[in-house]
Amino acid sequence: MDVLSHLASGFGAALTPTNLLMALLGSLLGTLVGVLPGLGPTAAIAILFPLTTVLPPVPAIIMLAGIYYGAMYGGSTTAILLNIPGEVASVPTCLDGYPMAQQGRGGVALGISAIGSFFAGTLGVVGLTFFAPFLADQALRFGPPEYFGLMVLAFTVIASLSAGSLVKGFAMAFLGYFISLIGLGPSTAEPRFTFGWGPLMSGVDLIALVVGLYAISEVFIGLEEARVAITQKIRNVFPRLADLREAFPAILRGTGIGFFLGLLPGCAPGVTVFMAYDVEKKLSKRPERFGKGAIEGVASPEAANNATSSAGFIPLLALGIPASAPLAVLLGGLLVYGLQPGPLLFQKNPEFVWTVIASLYVGNVILLILNLPLIGMWVWLTRIPYGILGPVILLLAFIGAYSVRNSMFDVGVSLVCGAIGFFLRRHQWPLAPMLLAFILGPLLEKYLIQSLSMSGGSPLIFFQRGISLALIVGAALLLLTSLALVRYTSRRVKEETAEEMAL
Amino acid sequence: MSTARGTEGRVVGGALVLLGVLSLWEGWRLHALRTQMVAGAVVGDDTFPLIVGAVMLLLGAGILFVARLPQVKAARPYGEPRKRMILGAAVLAAYWVILPYLGYTGSTALVSTGLFRAMGGYRWPLALLLGGVTTGLLYLLFRVWLLQPLPTGLLGL
Repeated sequence: MDVLSHLASGFGAALTPTNLLMALLGSLLGTLVGVLPGLGPTAAIAILFPLTTVLPPVPAIIMLAGIYYGAMYGGSTTAILLNIPGEVASVPTCLDGYPMAQQGRGGVALGISAIGSFFAGTLGVVGLTFFAPFLADQALRFGPPEYFGLMVLAFTVIASLSAGSLVKGFAMAFLGYFISLIGLGPSTAEPRFTFGWGPLMSGVDLIALVVGLYAISEVFIGLEEARVAITQKIRNVFPRLADLREAFPAILRGTGIGFFLGLLPGCAPGVTVFMAYDVEKKLSKRPERFGKGAIEGVASPEAANNATSSAGFIPLLALGIPASAPLAVLLGGLLVYGLQPGPLLFQKNPEFVWTVIASLYVGNVILLILNLPLIGMWVWLTRIPYGILGPVILLLAFIGAYSVRNSMFDVGVSLVCGAIGFFLRRHQWPLAPMLLAFILGPLLEKYLIQSLSMSGGSPLIFFQRGISLALIVGAALLLLTSLALVRYTSRRVKEETAEEMAL
Repeated sequence: MSTARGTEGRVVGGALVLLGVLSLWEGWRLHALRTQMVAGAVVGDDTFPLIVGAVMLLLGAGILFVARLPQVKAARPYGEPRKRMILGAAVLAAYWVILPYLGYTGSTALVSTGLFRAMGGYRWPLALLLGGVTTGLLYLLFRVWLLQPLPTGLLGL
């Protein structure tokens, strides 16, 4: 009952005109960027993140969550109509969505994708509503060693974000930790890695880093690739009753797989969508239709994608562990606003948490209402030439990086990170572990120092306390599970696209 | 298509070794400082840099000499896309240099026109028009709507 009353007050705040407007704006902007071929949710959030920094925390996070949801939805549009997955999570949607589009049923595929996404997203948020507070309650007993264990658990996420090579993932993660060290030391405020240069004293700004790694590098990657626009006309996006009857069990199964696997830290949507697609194909009485335009082949992975995305908010809000790159940026957003995700967030900022949770329900409804009728407009937007889009994104990123701290140093950091990101992405070194480690590095250091101070420098403290030991053992088990899942997904991605892709 | 696996592995591995050494060096400096300044403290600002430095050094050496990374073929950009990329990056770098002197309005008008010309290949009149419109729209977004202070430059524009 407590949960329901909190949720009711959350809805009260989420339905205020300002917050509704932010959810609407976020969903629209997210879909707009997500629908552009090649731009995924992480790039979408990176490009639009600076615009939210002038807002108070609640509307800003609502807008960022809307951007995240919108971009996820937008990604499926290009997957279905152009056979271009913005992220690996959209690859299975291409397998049957694109053949459907070629058969003139692109509208129906988009409609089923929107309905499946809405259904799974909403069920995922229901799970978040009841499960996250429970998890946060359990985590209230945590001290520094337990939090350190939690940070080690978060480290396992790197395995699933490593684009198939753990060595590359770890290398990028430690690069992220290194960058997070720049600035003032947390214990004595002694400058570290500043070499007496003033601008480095305040450290590297998260937004400058994200904008460079994801937005600026994305534009230059885009210049290399030949971009195409959607030229076909979309007629009817509303599926027939027979389509719905065929797709509904697949949506249910996809939701279940996506949600429950999504609860595991380190299980990104890229993993669950393939699992959902393969299960659907195995259960089908006519598996030969898969790959040739089976509606279940669109419904199930799209549902799994959105269920995992929603489930990802549970470890994010309750424990402070992001399961994917866009959620890592969202975690960074929370930290920018001075909000520390984790068990205390539910205690210290309940209005914030419940408003954001309620806004996720609202965002799902907004996306369903907007996207079905507006699909024609999204399709039209893909026809904007890249010669216009690229410069506009670059200017937005440049001024956005400046506007956060009114600092030309931050802009310089963005440009350098853009060049580094471009080099690393071209050679498939995953950026997400670097981002995750950069965000979690200061927390890991804080809890490590506090724990070792408590134990007089003995690392045995992490193995002498039950919860901390359980978390470290859990992290080891999860790492093994993640590795197996990543291997399975990498093999499947290679089978379907003949390419390596970051999950 | 050229195979860049060796080069990129060497670049990243080498960077990790260098940064690892830097981190160990900085950690050692902070360690000496801590033992002088804070009596009895067993850990401090030096602990994490020392750990991170040691792991980076090992990872870098591993990538350089031991690890067999998945082979990635990355073709070097050539022709028109390469020209657009180089020009675009140059215009962006120039923006960083001139913005504090020319201020938002002058530098953004110049740079956006340059970007539309360099990256989009538009003729000068159209690039100028697009540059002007973009400068105005970004001004409305950041200065008027989001109330962000933008650099005014030496002329106060």
